[in-house]
Amino acid sequence: MRLFVSGLQKLTTRMATLLTFGLLAGLLVMIDLAVATTGGRGGREGGNPLALITFPGAYDLILSFLFGLGGLFAVIYGAAIAGSEWTWGTLKTAVVRGESRSRYMLATFAAIAVVLAVGLFIAFVIGVAAAAVGATIAGVGLAGIDDTAALARLPELFARGWVAITATAALGFAVATLARSQLAGIGVGIAFYFGETFAGIFLPDVVRYLPFHLSSAAVGGGSGFGGPPDAGALTVGTALVLVTVWLIGSLVVAAGFSERAEITG
Amino acid sequence: MTDSNLALATHELRKSYGSRLALDGLELSVPTGVVYGFLGPNGAGKTTTMRVLTGLIHADGGSIELLGRPFTGRDRQRLFDVGALVETPAFYPYLSGRDNLRALAASGAHVPAPRIDEVLDIVGLRERSGDKVSRYSLGMKQRLGIAGALLNDPKLLLLDEPSNGLDPAGIVAMRETLRHLASIGKTVFISSHLLAEVQQMADVVGIIAAGRLVREGSMKELLASEGIVRVRVQPEEIPAAAATLGRLTSPDRVSASTLGPGWISVQITPDRSSEVNRTLAETGIYASEMSGGNDLEELFLTLTAASSSTDRDGRFATIDRSAGRLPTAEVQS
Repeated sequence: MRLFVSGLQKLTTRMATLLTFGLLAGLLVMIDLAVATTGGRGGREGGNPLALITFPGAYDLILSFLFGLGGLFAVIYGAAIAGSEWTWGTLKTAVVRGESRSRYMLATFAAIAVVLAVGLFIAFVIGVAAAAVGATIAGVGLAGIDDTAALARLPELFARGWVAITATAALGFAVATLARSQLAGIGVGIAFYFGETFAGIFLPDVVRYLPFHLSSAAVGGGSGFGGPPDAGALTVGTALVLVTVWLIGSLVVAAGFSERAEITG
Repeated sequence: MTDSNLALATHELRKSYGSRLALDGLELSVPTGVVYGFLGPNGAGKTTTMRVLTGLIHADGGSIELLGRPFTGRDRQRLFDVGALVETPAFYPYLSGRDNLRALAASGAHVPAPRIDEVLDIVGLRERSGDKVSRYSLGMKQRLGIAGALLNDPKLLLLDEPSNGLDPAGIVAMRETLRHLASIGKTVFISSHLLAEVQQMADVVGIIAAGRLVREGSMKELLASEGIVRVRVQPEEIPAAAATLGRLTSPDRVSASTLGPGWISVQITPDRSSEVNRTLAETGIYASEMSGGNDLEELFLTLTAASSSTDRDGRFATIDRSAGRLPTAEVQS
């Protein structure tokens, strides 16, 4: 518990945390305001850009954005946190104090998972506020903002999205641990994200079992903004199970490697 | 078997990195309640030893006893009574010194909250403890690293090059702190290449070269056994001077010096230089110059230079006691 609380304290004051969620929320606000101020002009033919600021549909689209692009941010964030433990040598200082390596890594990741939940929630609230402001500017109205059915679905959608995002963070966490490097972990995480998206064009039957596509499927199949293409025929339930398998697998790899690694840096 | 008088002992400790042998049967015996200076040239295996002792890497063979009980990498809780600073101090640069210590205290053995202020006081960082570590100088980081090692009030302190980056005042303060810790029964094991510093601080010294311990013993005994006084007399007086000095110690400890014509070397502690001078004077021989050296540097260079050379089989050659000597400080003329 001490490690977990300490992990939270370390993450909440860290620039990477502020940057990750600040950027996510900032992009959302900019898009909302851009849509509002342009009145939705310039969107795709047949599309409805104003949907982003029209409630209650805006709730789903905001979540879709957060859990779509958030997957990329999460893999980078997970890699940054795990990699810095090796790059800065802070894992070493804990180990020489007799701390269990695997416990340290898992407690660190548990803190990441909580920060992801809180950060995404804050970004979501900011996104909703920006959409509401945008709706007012664009004259769309806020009639659906208190839609009971939409609001009732939000906790489950958010929970599923959080699990999916946490799994992608775990992937970055594991990659950076294996690489023992912050930069290498981030680089590989980004490459994995775009590589998986690109491979989806040619190998859809394989790629749908990979983490980013599974995450997308777990939050309902929508790709949102910046996320990979739809995940094919996997149901939400199946995708959630497989996402959890990726999550646990990544953590087992990270903890197992940390336990056996020779710390020479 | 364990020896309760030893805070730390290693037996036949071996470690290789690929084909490179880093530790080759290292045997250390660190008594309880002393400052132990662990010396060796670069690449001798000092840091590898520190890593093995703190569980950062696993030895290929041999055994370790920490505080009187066997220690393996899996037995991590044995490190709860050990404080360590291995290589460079490592911190979260965006946190303050105090917050870094708090974060460190969350791992390993429980640390009471007031202890953080105590260790900050010990290393003289209390006033700057609120500053981010990224703004710390190298010396301040080093102090914070030592503070981190002291967090759990360890019985055994393992410090790797503890004076790195410290200013002269900081070095003196650290030396006093470590001496104090030893005086209250703690054991301080310091790895260093700063021989003069170790000479001032350590009670016991171990010298490592090419992964093996080449000499270990109390500083006093080592220096006493290795001291040299050189005297210069008139060339025609050399036989008489040698005979006189041979009676002071023993004939086999008197020899011609490589310093030049007229110089004689006597293996004797330099604090007996005046005795050498007086003995010669009593027989009517007056030294025109004298120099003495029993500093650790001379011993270190002699031992490590010899042990670093290997024969074809990779085994260590016989120590060449004339190798690696540097000119010694002149103490009297």
